[in-house]
Order: sequence, then C-alpha cells, then structure tokens
Amino acid sequence: MLSYVVRRLATAALILLGASFLVYLLTASSGDPLADLRASNAPNRQQLMDARSQLLDLDTPAPLRYFKWLGGAAQCLVPFAGTCDLGKSVTGQPITEALGIALVQTLTLVTGATVLAILIGITLGIVTALRQYSALDYGVTFMAFLFFSLPIFWVAVLLKEFGAIGFNNFLRNPVIPLPVSLGTGIVLGVVVAVAAGGEIKRRLISGGVVFALVTAVMVYFSATLWFKNPGLGPVVIGIAGVGMAFAVTTLVSGLKNRKALQASLIVAGLGVVSWFVIQPLLAQATGLMIFLLAIATVLVGVGVGYLMGGYDRGQSMRAAGITAFLVGGLVALDRFMQAWPTYFNNSRVRGRPIATIGAGTPNLQGDYWVLTIDTFTHLILPTVALILVSLASYTRFTRSSMLEIMNMDYIRTARAKGLSERSVIMGHAFRNALIPLATIVAFDIGALIGGAVITESVFSVHGMGFLFLDGITHIDPNPVMGVFLCVAVTAMVFNLIADLAYSALDPRVRIKA
Amino acid sequence: MRFGRISQAVGVLAIATLALSACAGNTGSPSPTSGGAQEGGTIGVAETNGFSSFNSGTADGNSDVNGHIGYATHSNFLYIDDKLNIVKNEKFGKYEKLSDDPLTVKYTVNEGVKWSDGTQVSAADLLLTWASGSAYYDDSNAEKKTGTTYFLTAADTSGLNLTDFPEIGEDNRSITLKYSKPFADWELALGFAGNGGIDIPAHVVAQKAGLKDAQALVDLFKSVKRGDPAAPKPVNAQLKKVADFWSTGFDSKTLPSDPNLFLSNGPYIVKDVVAEQSLTLVRNKDYNWGPTPHADEIVVRTIGSAPAQVQALKNGEVDIINPQASADTVEQIKALDGVQLLQGKQLSYDHLDLNYSGPFADKDVRTAFMLTVPRKDIVDKIIKKIDPEATPLDSQIFVPAQAAYADSVKNNGSSEYQDVNVDKAKQLLAGKTPTIRIMYNKDNPNRVDAFSLIRESATKAGFKIVDGGLGKADWSAHLGDGSYDATIFGWINSGVGVTGTPQIFKTGGGSNFNGLSSPDADKLMDELIITTDKAKQDELQTKIDAAIWSTSYGLPLFQSPDVKAYSDQISGVTAMPNQTGVWWNVWDWARK
Repeated sequence: MLSYVVRRLATAALILLGASFLVYLLTASSGDPLADLRASNAPNRQQLMDARSQLLDLDTPAPLRYFKWLGGAAQCLVPFAGTCDLGKSVTGQPITEALGIALVQTLTLVTGATVLAILIGITLGIVTALRQYSALDYGVTFMAFLFFSLPIFWVAVLLKEFGAIGFNNFLRNPVIPLPVSLGTGIVLGVVVAVAAGGEIKRRLISGGVVFALVTAVMVYFSATLWFKNPGLGPVVIGIAGVGMAFAVTTLVSGLKNRKALQASLIVAGLGVVSWFVIQPLLAQATGLMIFLLAIATVLVGVGVGYLMGGYDRGQSMRAAGITAFLVGGLVALDRFMQAWPTYFNNSRVRGRPIATIGAGTPNLQGDYWVLTIDTFTHLILPTVALILVSLASYTRFTRSSMLEIMNMDYIRTARAKGLSERSVIMGHAFRNALIPLATIVAFDIGALIGGAVITESVFSVHGMGFLFLDGITHIDPNPVMGVFLCVAVTAMVFNLIADLAYSALDPRVRIKA
Repeated sequence: MRFGRISQAVGVLAIATLALSACAGNTGSPSPTSGGAQEGGTIGVAETNGFSSFNSGTADGNSDVNGHIGYATHSNFLYIDDKLNIVKNEKFGKYEKLSDDPLTVKYTVNEGVKWSDGTQVSAADLLLTWASGSAYYDDSNAEKKTGTTYFLTAADTSGLNLTDFPEIGEDNRSITLKYSKPFADWELALGFAGNGGIDIPAHVVAQKAGLKDAQALVDLFKSVKRGDPAAPKPVNAQLKKVADFWSTGFDSKTLPSDPNLFLSNGPYIVKDVVAEQSLTLVRNKDYNWGPTPHADEIVVRTIGSAPAQVQALKNGEVDIINPQASADTVEQIKALDGVQLLQGKQLSYDHLDLNYSGPFADKDVRTAFMLTVPRKDIVDKIIKKIDPEATPLDSQIFVPAQAAYADSVKNNGSSEYQDVNVDKAKQLLAGKTPTIRIMYNKDNPNRVDAFSLIRESATKAGFKIVDGGLGKADWSAHLGDGSYDATIFGWINSGVGVTGTPQIFKTGGGSNFNGLSSPDADKLMDELIITTDKAKQDELQTKIDAAIWSTSYGLPLFQSPDVKAYSDQISGVTAMPNQTGVWWNVWDWARK
C-alpha cells in the first residue's frame, strides 16, 4: 500500500514536470507579448517595450525562463518557509497572491453548485433508474440532455434577464395574477400526475392535490405580499417537520421501525419548540455559532434516537439525526426570511436583491443574516446555471450504474430471501451504485479548481478561469502556470484518493504494491 | 396504529405548539435586529478591468482603471475637458511661463492643498513627480545592457529630460523647471491627475525607502548627478530603493493596511477595495482646491464583458457603464428604459498606410490607390451600425473633437478622396497593374471588412491585391519590415499635445513604418516640437497635415466609436474621447 502510494506520487511528480514544461513553452510561444506596443504610436513606445521585456524577462529564451520559474516554484515545496515564488503577472502582481484571490472566488462560485449538482443528480439518477422507461424517466432524461446541450453563456444570460432583472421588477409589487397561479398549479399538477406512477386514480389524486396546494399557496403569497415579508412560522415548520420525519424514516429504516419514527417525530416537535426558544440567540448569530448549532442539532437528534432505542438503535439515531438537521435547516431558513425585509430595504440593495454580477454588494453592512442573504442572492444565479449544465452527467451516470446493480444476482438473492424493497434499494443497491461515482466526483474536483471560465466571465467573477484566460491573452506564462499547477496537483491527488477510496469501498479491488 | 406514551406526549406537545403558533403567525415572530446600512448619493460605475495599483504612472500600473481611480483621487494644476482643452485649476496652484528662451516654468502649489493625512503638498512632491517622469537619473543603455533605469514610468520622459535639476522655491511649495530647449508640450510636462501627475506623496516614499522625511528625499535627489548612458555609474542604492518603492510599492489589488499607501489629494479617497470585484471612493473631506464633487460615494464594479455591463445597468447594480463598443451593445442599451446612451468617438482611429517603396514608390500609384479606397462604404459597413452619424476621418493629425480639425480638413487635400474615383485612378495608372500586398490583423473583423472593401474597389482600377492578413499575435511584428505594400491598422491620437506627431510622421520616427520622408513636413515638425504657443502649434500642425496629404501618404479611415450609457437617475455624465473617459468630470456626477 505505502509503496503503491509512493510510486504513484513519484510518477505524478514526473508527469507534472513534463507537463509544466510543455504548458510553459506553449504559452510562451502562443504569441507576441509586445504585439500591442509594436503597433503603438506613443512617443515612448520603445521605453514601454523595454519595460515590459524586462518585467517578463523576454530576453531569456522561453526554455531557460522555464527553469528560472521552476527554481522559484520549487521553493513552494518547502513548507512554511514563505519563499514560494511563482513569478509576477504582467501587472506586477505576485502570482501566489493572485492565485489566493482567484481560488477563493472560484471556490465560492463552484463549491455549492457542484455539491448540489451531485446531490440532485444522484437522487434523480436513482429515481429514474427505479422507474426505468416511465414518463418520469423520459422527462428527466429529456430535461437533463436539454440543459446539458444548452450553451452556458446563453443559459446564464437568460437567468440574469428573468431570474434577476425580471424577478426584481416583480418584487416591487409582488402580486401574482390569479391566472398565473392557476396556470402554475395546473402545470405542476400535470407534471406530478405524469411523474407519480401507479394507477390512473393514484396519479389523478396526487396531481389534483399538488394543483390545489400550489394554487392555494400562490394565491396566499400574492394576497399577503409574502415575497415582501416572507416567513415560515412554527406552523409550517411543524407540518413540514412531521413530513420530513416520515420521509426520512421511510428511507432510513422503514416506517415499520416504530422507535425510529417516534424519535424522528420527537425531534420534529423539539424543532418547533426550539423555534420559540432560540430566536434571541439567533439574533446574535455568527458563522461559527450557526456551525456549532448545526452540530448540536444533529447531536440532539442522535441523542433522542439513542434514548428511544428500539431493536435497531443505529437506525433510530440516524433517522432522528437527519430529521434534526433538516428541521434545524427550516428554523434557519425561517430566520433568513425574517431578515429579508431588512436586506430588501437596505439602501445599498435598493429593493433589487437578486444580483447579476460579483460575489457581494459592496459596502453592505448588517448582521450575519443580512450578509449571508447577500451572498446567496449573488450566488444563486451562477449556481443554478452550473447545476443545470452539470446535472446531466451525474444523473446519467448514477442511473446506468444503478440499473446495472439492480440486475445483479445478489439483488435477486436479496429479493428472494424476502427483504423489503426499501432495504434492497437503500441497503444493497444504492451503496454499491455509488462506488463508480467516486471516480467522476474526484475528476470534477480537479475541474472545480480549474474554474468555470464562461460562467465566471458572464457573472464577472475573477476566479481561476479568468486568471488563466488573462494570462493567455497577455502571453504571460506565469498566471497560466499558477493555475496549471493548482489544477494539476489537485487532479492528481484526487485521482490517487479515488483509487485508494475504490479499494476501501469495494472489497473486490485490492491494491497490490 | 399504536403509539407509546412518549409519542402521545409528543403529539400533545405538537398540537399545543401548533395552537400557540397559529395565533402567533409570522407577524408575531421576534423582530429581527439586523443592522441597516446608511448612505447618501452613491453612484455605481462599471470598469472593464480590475484595479491593481495606487500609482497609475508606472509601467505595470498604467491600466485604464488605475488611471481613473488616480484621476478621482488626485488633483493637479490642470485637467483636460471633453473638448480636449486644457483647463487650469488655479485653486490647486498655478504654473507660469517665466521665459521663453530658455523655456522656464514655475509651478506653485497653493497653501492648504493637502494630502489626506494632513501633509501640505510640497515642492518635494513636485520634485518626486519630476524625478520619476524625467529619466534624469537613468544611465541605462539598452543595447549594451549597462547602467540603471531607476523609475519605471509609463510617461514619456523626453520632455522633462530636457530640464536641469529644478530650483526649489523658498516657500517649499514651488519648483522652477528650466528647459535646455523649448518643449512644445511643456504644459503637460507634469501630467495630469492619474496620469503621471502629482499622485505620489514624497514623504511616504521617503519613509518607506528608509529616509527620514521628505527633506531627506529632496537632499538625495540633489546629491545625485544626471545619469549618462554613455558613462554608466554604479547603482546608487538609496536612489534605487526610492525608485523601486515608487515603481512597485503602490501596487495592490486590495486596500493596504497602511493608509499612507493610498493618500489622496483630490476630490475622492479610496475607502475600500474588494480584489477584482469592487472599489469604493468617498469624498475627501478636506478637499476644496478644485471643482466640488456632488456624489458622496462612488462604487466601481469590475465587469469584464459588455453584455454583463448592460444587464448590470438594467438591474440597477451600476449607474454608468462603458462597455466595448459593438452593434449588439448599442442595440441592447437602446432597448433599456430609463437609460441614456452616450455615443462618441474614441481617440483611436483606423488608417490605411502606403509604403513609400516597392510598387508604391511612384506617387501616382499611391494617389491612384487612394482614389479607389471606398471610405464611405467602409464607414457604412463597419461603423454606421454602431454610430449612424459616423463619417470618414479626414485628417492625419486632428480628430473632429479638436477645434483645429475643421480648418485643417478644408485645405489639407482630403476633399479629393471623399468618393471613389476609379476612372481617375485608371488614368493615373496608365495601364499598369501593380500587385499590392495589404497586411492587416485578420483576427479583427473590422480590419477584414475594410480590407475586403478596399480589395473589391481597387481591383476595379486594375490593382492586383494580395491578401497579406496575419493573425493577431503576428501582424504587428511585421510593421515596417517591408514585407507588405500597404497596411490597415489603428493609432491613438494623443488628443492634447503634439509630441505624438513626429513619432509617426517624421523621417525615421519611432512609429513611421511606411518610410515617409517629407523634407517640408520634417522642417515643420522640427519647429513644432519647440513651439510652446497653442495657436502657433495648431497652425503648424495644419500645415503638416496638408504636407502629409500632398505626398499621398495613405488615408485615415474612421475613428473608433465609443459607447457609454448611464441611468437617467444620474446627471452630469458626458462623452469624452481620451483615456480618462467619463471620469473627466467625476465631480459633476450627481444623483437626481
């Protein structure tokens, strides 16, 4: 095992060396960094050309310049020495500093989107695999491929037009006309009726219920100007909490495990109680406090599950823990909604909350809730855009992997010995279906660091993709190499991790040194 | 369904809470204590590039956005208005020409003009501006690779380099520059705010370079002799330290923790910078030595792509945008409600140059070729879709924004080339069919269009046109190497000042790529660069313009269109062709 890792790392280092040499030469020879100045009619043209040549060290041939760069980059291997030198960009900024800024911007932009895309993609993949060739399956496949094939700059521009500008205009007077409410209700009702599966009667009932619910909610929202002053309140939290308790229990242990269900319900009740208790505390919230509260919430849930016990204590703890987390999320969501009017009416926001550019409203001041809402309103559109285009690969991947597993002999055996469908899917199939995803997720993390060039440019986020592109346009190898190093190292490390994870996840795979 | 006792208790509890909360609803929820932000008169401006340096006068710091921020945070003896006139700012100080021969100029800063840390703007600051913009101490020789370049400035040093070490006034607020020969652009010698002006506080540079105070810096400057590239001296370590700090010490993408690094002596001061995202300017509260700003705060947002700028304007995130001009952008802006579109012209212009060699050695051939260039069609095809009122540019030296343009075009001979005249061209060619290779940047669609139209028209007169278009990375390296006969590319008119003229048109000028050598024009240019009177300069330039046209130099084609837009909740924004852009009257911006 150890020798395997060492061997892999050594190969990785060699690959990195060769690839970096190639990338450096390619970038350096991709054009003429003095091109714009050569055509200049500035009286000090020569002086400017000399200055740039000196800054980029153009008198040294590119292969030699690479080794100079390598000399500086090698110092990055010395930990904590602070001697890391990746050169300077054409504006004289040290690359290490530029990378620091760009990484933060890229990660804020892509992390949420990737995590959500993975979660939603896997869920859709599993569901469509279980309902293979159903209307739902075709519908999801159609949508996934539709979004997959849309150019992201176009999706992003449309999102900005309707999701930001249109929605902000709507918020000025958030009244939904009745036909719109009815129409939305009908559309969603039909979608649910088609997707629900089962007999006609069951489909009609679910479609009808959804139609009535959606229309009622929208009329209610419109009548109370809910979007101006949103909130859930304990009633909705309570109802949703009970629903979640049932849903989570169904998935984790099955409703037959009464103790687990009771634990989840208790936790949901506790959540509603906590809504009343915790408000003064939430008024002082900080990021750390929310994090600690989240952990505490899960621990309380697990604790309740432990006390309830039952024939499978683990299942109770899991169900209650997950329910606690979700209900806690609702309480937090409600608190965000309470802060919404303050954010909305803030003079910096000017009543147009959804942003089209950047990562935050400049100079916005406010408490944790207002600032976090600000981050959300800036991230929501790029996140949606990225999710839409990357959903397809996860959905399809999970679907095919799940289908393959569902046709395995051991699944048939499990069914034959009388296991419930839930434990066949959740216990036997689902986990194994996730193993191949380790590869794709590991790859995506490399891509994640590389940034989303187009999305970044449409939403004016100056992240890794921008840095890379900027380096290429200025024929400036240093930023390009900085981005390349980060991406390459992450990709290699995560590939290694994926391989190791494989052997940990799948007992059939053994790493032989 | 049988629930245990606990579940029953939970049920009761849940029902109780629901009952309680039903009365409470959301209106009864604890009122949030979120803190609000306060403001008054904020204006948002979009910039294409990210801010990177508080010294926009350095070779790496002279980007457009740095210049704009420098302009808003500094003052000078003058600024340039949207008609490209020099406007004196006597509240800051005054400059006066003491004598014409030798040219002697005295600069005096008014008392009470202060950096934002309270230090008076003094002779030391003027001296630092002079030292950084004069290359006085440099003794580097690019060919032999000897000597040192101290200050890495973006400014043209040829003017201030003519001066001796300045004389410092007794009030310590004035310096006197004595030129060894007259210098035409003497008024612009100390630049303007954000452009090689009095932007960098000497006392800060002195401190950061390990000197005691500004006086120590002045003493250092006094003690070092003028550099001589022919006889380079060892590096002066202390001066090098000063120059290095000046060149790179103010580079920062974020707000430095040391406020000395972003001192202001102008209407605004930087309050906050979020790297690559935004920069906030607030009023400089002491400022009363220039036009008074209206807005309390200006927020600069970095938005690279043009459609993103338009959408941000539509969504109210910015109030003023300056996107790259294109027909799409103009259409998008026109479709917006409550937005004013400002169409103007940039100082950059496209032109066709003919080499004075090869097939074009014969003046008649050049004239014939010029007669075939469909300038109106080119403007129609390339520019009209952006700016419907665009017309071809008719002067080699002036742009319409300059007062002298109208007079110059009347007599410079451009009227001959208003319309295509194939018959006359054929006459001049007298049956010859010269092969002409035209070089241009084929990655620039405008140049490709211009080339196609010229080829089509010139072929009719009997020219054989060879497409010499090259990729964007290659074409400029071929300028002046004789591998082509004609070329289409862009230049930037300096707008104010005349030293740019000989750079292009003088025999052997640094950007004279086509080998123009006109003794008449050379003589006039020799006179021009030592003429210090504006009216006389215009007169000379008018003559030079005509002299160049008379040699059948080639043709100016069109000025690049400039597109800006602003929300109609803002007033005071006007079009401005030079690099300062809309920022030139930042003090007039106001929220209605």
